[in-house]
Amino acid sequence: MISNAISLMIAIPLIAAILAFFGGKAAKYLALIGSLIPLVISLQMYQAFDKTTTAMQFVESYDWVPSLGIKYTVGVDGIGMPLILLSTIVSILVVIYSWGEGKRSNQFFALLLLNEVGVLGVFTALDFFLFYIFWEVVLIPMFFLIGIWGGPRKDYAAIKFFIYTHVASLIMLLAIFSLYFVYSASTGIRTFDMLTLIQATSDSAIFSPSLVNLIFLGLIFGFLVKMPAVPFHTWLPDAHVEAPTAGSVLLAALLLKMGGYGLFRVIMPILPNASDKYITLMAVIGVVSIVYGAFLALSQKDLKKMVAYSSVSHMGYVLLGAGALSVLSVQGAMFQQFSHGLITCVLFMSAGTIQHTAGTRIISDLGGLADRMPKFAVLMLAGFMASLGLPGMCGFVAEALVLVGSYENLPIYTLIVIFGGIVVTAGYHLWAMQKAMFGPILKKYLDLKDPHVYELLSMSILVLLIIYFGVQPGTITDIMGVAAEPLVSFKPVMTLAQMGVI
Amino acid sequence: MTIEFNLSLLSAEILLTGLALLMIVLGVFLKSKNLMGYLSLVGLIVSLFLVMTVDQTKGSFFYGTVQVDALSQFFKLVFVSVSILVVMAGLSKYKDHPAQDEFYVLLLLATVGMMVVSSSVDLVTLFIGFELASLSTYAMAAFDKEKQNLEAAMKYFIFGSVSSALMLFGFSLLYGLTGTTRIADIASVVAEDMGPALLIALLFVIAGFGFKMALVPFHMWAPDTYQGSPTLVTAFLAAGSKKMGFVAAFKVLLVALLALRMEWYLIFAVLAAITMSLGNLVAIWQNNVKRMLAYSSVAYAGYIAIAFVVVGATAGQPDLVNGVPIAIYGLAGGLFLILAHAFMKTGAFIVTAVVGDMASSEGKDNPDGIEHYAGLGRRAPITAFCMLIFVFSLSGIPITAGFMGKLLVFGSAISAGLVWLAVVAVLNSALSLYYYLRIIMYMYVKEPAGGKISEPKGYVLSMVVTVLAVVGIAFCTETFFQLAQRAAEVLL
Repeated sequence: MISNAISLMIAIPLIAAILAFFGGKAAKYLALIGSLIPLVISLQMYQAFDKTTTAMQFVESYDWVPSLGIKYTVGVDGIGMPLILLSTIVSILVVIYSWGEGKRSNQFFALLLLNEVGVLGVFTALDFFLFYIFWEVVLIPMFFLIGIWGGPRKDYAAIKFFIYTHVASLIMLLAIFSLYFVYSASTGIRTFDMLTLIQATSDSAIFSPSLVNLIFLGLIFGFLVKMPAVPFHTWLPDAHVEAPTAGSVLLAALLLKMGGYGLFRVIMPILPNASDKYITLMAVIGVVSIVYGAFLALSQKDLKKMVAYSSVSHMGYVLLGAGALSVLSVQGAMFQQFSHGLITCVLFMSAGTIQHTAGTRIISDLGGLADRMPKFAVLMLAGFMASLGLPGMCGFVAEALVLVGSYENLPIYTLIVIFGGIVVTAGYHLWAMQKAMFGPILKKYLDLKDPHVYELLSMSILVLLIIYFGVQPGTITDIMGVAAEPLVSFKPVMTLAQMGVI
Repeated sequence: MTIEFNLSLLSAEILLTGLALLMIVLGVFLKSKNLMGYLSLVGLIVSLFLVMTVDQTKGSFFYGTVQVDALSQFFKLVFVSVSILVVMAGLSKYKDHPAQDEFYVLLLLATVGMMVVSSSVDLVTLFIGFELASLSTYAMAAFDKEKQNLEAAMKYFIFGSVSSALMLFGFSLLYGLTGTTRIADIASVVAEDMGPALLIALLFVIAGFGFKMALVPFHMWAPDTYQGSPTLVTAFLAAGSKKMGFVAAFKVLLVALLALRMEWYLIFAVLAAITMSLGNLVAIWQNNVKRMLAYSSVAYAGYIAIAFVVVGATAGQPDLVNGVPIAIYGLAGGLFLILAHAFMKTGAFIVTAVVGDMASSEGKDNPDGIEHYAGLGRRAPITAFCMLIFVFSLSGIPITAGFMGKLLVFGSAISAGLVWLAVVAVLNSALSLYYYLRIIMYMYVKEPAGGKISEPKGYVLSMVVTVLAVVGIAFCTETFFQLAQRAAEVLL
C-alpha cells in the first residue's frame, strides 16, 4: 500500500483541476485521469482496509498552525471508507457522463474535480478546522456549476444555495468554536482535533450538560441543512432544478452525504452526553422527511423536481436509522447513504438525458419515450425500481435494514406511518415512469433516439453496481456494522493517540 | 531614562523622507515616463526590508517620544506593503501623467506619517504623524482633478479636520488632567476618580479616532470619499490610512486609558455591532462596486473593533488560552485581521481601478458600476480571478487570509464570553456573502459586455502579488500570528 494514500487521493484531483482549467480541449482527458487515479487509490485502500477494527486507518497528521492547535490530520474508519468509495466512483462516472459538455468545458471539468477534492476532504478530515475548510470548499464548485451551466433561474438558485448552506455552516462553526475554546480554557490545550474534542464532551467537568446541548444543536443544524431534512430542505429543489445534470448528480450523490456523514462522525458520538430528547427529535424529523418528502415528490410536475424531493425522502431514512439507535438501523442508515448515492445518480442522469433529448422534463408532456430509446428506458427503469425499493437492488437492503432495526426501538405507529410513505414512494415512481416512458409515443418524439454512448455507459455501470450491492451487500455493510456497533453501544470515543495510530 | 541615538532603527522612515524630498527636486527637472514610480518602488521595497530586519528590542528616540518595537514594526509592515502595491498599480495608472512626481511624493510622505504614528509613544508626535498622513492624503484624494474627486477631497478634508480638532481637544484635556503627553505616563496617572472631565476627554478621543476608523456613526464621509477619490488613492485610504486610525486608537485607548476600560468597552461593543450590521446592510443595495467595497470596509471596521471589546472585557484577567491571556489573543487576532484586510482591500480596489479604466476608455458613464463586471472572467481573466480570491477572502471563505482573520477575532470574542457579539459577527459575515457573490455572478456568469481587454502590466503585477499575499498569509498563519502576538504583547 502506498504511503500517504489519503493526501494523494485529495491532491491528485486538485492538481488535475488546475491543469484542466488551463487545459483547454484536453480538460476532459485530464479530468478522466484525475478522477481515475483516486478511484484506483480508494480501491487499493479498500483492499488494505482492516475490516475488524474501529480504529482509524491510513492516518496522517502534520502540524499546520501549532499556536492555534490546527493540524492537518486525515484518516478513515468504517464510517468514512464506504463514502470515499462512493465519492471516487461517482466522480469518475459524472466525468464520463458529461463527456459531451461543450460550454466552457475546461472550467466545467475543473469544477467537477474540485468538488471531488472537497468531498474527499470532508470524508477524511479528522481535525475540525480542516473539516470545516473542506466543508466550505465544496460550496464553491457547486455554486459555479449552478451559476454558469444552470437553467433559467440560475442566479437565484446559485445564490440561495450558497447563502443557505453557508449560514448553516457558520452556525456549525460557532459550535466548533465553543468546543475549541471551552476545551482550551479548562485544559489549557488548544486543539481542533475532532476525536479529542468529541471525547471531551463526555467529561462534565469541562462541558456542562447545558453547554453540550447547545453545541449539539449547532452541529446538528449544520448537518440537517446539508442532508437536507424537513423543514430545512427548501434550498434543495431550487438548486437541483436549476443545476446542470452533473451538478445535480454530485449534489444529490455526494454533497447530501456530507450531512449524513456528520451525523455518524460527530453527532452520534456526542449523543450520549446530550439530552435524550434529541434522539426523539432525530427520529421524528427522519420520519417526517420520509413521508413529507414522498408526498412532495408525488405532487411534482417536473421530473427533476420529483427526483429532488425523493432525495429528501430517502435521506430521511438516514436520520431515522441514526435516531433508532440499534446496530442494524445504524448500519442500514450508513448503507442507505451509499446506496442512495448510487441510485440517485441514475435518476438525475435520466432526468438530464430526457431534458436534452426531449427538450422538457414536465412529466405530463412526455410519453412513450421507451419506444425510441429502448436502452435508455431499461436503465432508467432499473434506477426507478431501485429507488422505490425493489428487492435485489441495494435500495431495498438499506431501507429494510433501517426499518428492521427501528422496529426494536421505535413505537409501532411510526412504522405504520413510514409504510404509508413507502406506498406513496412506489406510487410516484411508477406513475412518472409510466407516463414518461411507456404508453403510446407522442408524435413529436418520433425522431428521438438513444442518448450518447458515454451517458449510457455511466448509467449502466451504476445499475450494475446497484444490483451487485443489492445481491452482495456484505462487501460494504460489514465495514459499516463494525463502525455502527460502538456508536449505538455508547462506547467512549477513542482519540488517535489512544488508538495508537499516531 | 536613557536616550539612545541609534538612528539605524529608523532608517526606513529616514530613507523614505529623504527620497520624497529628493523626488520633489528631481521632479522639477526630469519628466521621464515612469522614473518616479520606479524610484519610489525601489525605495519602498528597501524600506520594507529595513522594517522587517530591524532589531525589535525596544529602542526609543527623541526624548522618549518615538519607539521602535514589535507593534510599530507590524504596522509599518502593513503600511509599506500597501504603498508598494499602490505604487505598482500606479506604474500603469499614472504612466504618462504630467504630475506623477507629486503623486508619488505625497504617497511616500503619507506613508512616513503613518509610520510615525505607529512608532509614537507620545500624544504630540502621534498627532504630528497623523496630520502628516492626513494632509498628504487630502491632496491625493483630489489628484485626478475630476469633479467627483474634488467633492470627495473636500468632504474628506472637512470631516478629517473636524476629527483632528476633536482628537486634539481630547488630547489637551488629557494633558491638562495628567500633566504629561507621554502615553505610558498618562496611563500611570489616570484613575477612575478623575471626574467627568476625563470622560469627556475619552469621548473626544473616541470620536476623533472613530472618524479615521470609519466606525458608525462617524463613517458618513467614508463611502463618499472612497467612491469619489481616484481608485488607487481609495485603496491607500481604505487599506492604509484607516489602519493608522486603528494603531493610534490601540495606543491611546489600550495603553493610556486602560483604566477606563469598563467605560469604553461597552461603547465599542455596541459600536462594533452596529458598524458591521450597517456596513453590510447598506452594501447590499449598492450597484457601484467602489461604494460597495467602501461599505464593506465600514463593516470590516466593525469586525476589527471587536478586538477592542475583547481587550476591554478581559484585560488583566488571568484566563489563558494555551498560555496566552485572552486579551492578547484577541488583540493579536485584530492585528491579524488588519493585516489581512489591508491586502485584500487593496487588491479589490486595484481591480476596480482596472475595470474603471476599461469602462471609461470605452466611454461608459459610471465606470465603477457593477454592470461593467459582466463577463469579466472572459474579458480579463487574470483580473477576474484575482477579484475572485479577494472576494472570497473578504467574505471569509477558507483558505484565505480573511477567513483566518475572522476566525481569530470571532473566536476570541467567544473565549471572552461575548457570545452575542460573535453571533452578530458571524451572521453579518453570512449576510455580506450576498453582495460579494453578486460580483462573482457578474464576473463569471453574465455574458461579457465587450471583447477581451488588455490588462496593464503594473496592475497585473500588483494584483498577483496581493493574491499571493492573501493566500500566503493564510498558509503561514503561524508566522504571522506570532508576529501579531508579539505586537500585542507590547501594548498589554
